[in-house]
Amino acid sequence: MIRKTKDDAELDDFGRFSEPALLILVSLAEGPRHGYSMTEDIAAIADVRLGPGTLYGALARLESRGLIEPLKSEDRRNPYRLTTLGERALRVRLDSMMAVARTGQRRLANA
Amino acid sequence: MNWLLRLYPARWRERYGEEFGAVLANQRASLGLALDVLGGAIDAHLYPQIQNSNSELIKEEDTMTLLMLQRCSAGGPKLSPRDQRIASFFMILSALVMAVLYIALTKIDHSAPAVQAVGYASFPALCLVYGEVAYLRKRPSLTQVLVLVGGLSGMYLFMLAVCVIGSRF
Repeated sequence: MIRKTKDDAELDDFGRFSEPALLILVSLAEGPRHGYSMTEDIAAIADVRLGPGTLYGALARLESRGLIEPLKSEDRRNPYRLTTLGERALRVRLDSMMAVARTGQRRLANA
Repeated sequence: MNWLLRLYPARWRERYGEEFGAVLANQRASLGLALDVLGGAIDAHLYPQIQNSNSELIKEEDTMTLLMLQRCSAGGPKLSPRDQRIASFFMILSALVMAVLYIALTKIDHSAPAVQAVGYASFPALCLVYGEVAYLRKRPSLTQVLVLVGGLSGMYLFMLAVCVIGSRF
């Protein structure tokens, strides 16, 4: 049984935005990106195209919880980057997912 | 499709409007996109994520939906116990008057649609009386008379029409 930590539970509070939020965190793990760049990156890595309503619903939640932060920008495309808290939450979530995946693979192999 | 941005709260637009517009401009217009933006707007109204960190006053339009929802969840506008007692008294009095009127009318002709309509209209009429006494008591007399007479007449005519149509089948 995988125990959830506070950081891991952070994304669970996002409701229907938890999966988009995770994808955003993964996208930002490579470096700061603005909204459009995130949607393109997420489409490439997960084959999911986030609509702007979903994207900004998740971005607003991540920002309000201090998991990402906006960077100053001259043009209207505001880039965001992961905060230390966001990085930690992402690590915890990915570790948890990997543990589930490993367990699933092992069980399938033994089936 | 940038006009869809207007569905979002003003404070949200101030914060994310430009970048959101930039992302939206790069998407192909479709029903799915419109629904996504609409869903985002509803979410932004119901679950505002933007912190009120600066001293900027919250604009009225930002809080209107929230206030409305809060008011609905709290059971409507607040009434003092005295207001409730007065409204209840008038409602009970009206119920007695209507009961006497209905009994008297049924003695004359109980099957007439005009009489049946009185019976059917009595419950909604009592609700209207309660609502008016509770919420409009401090309004000008003309407003009260117009709302009460207009409401009761409209309700009675509607029930009468239903009863007349019903009596023909």
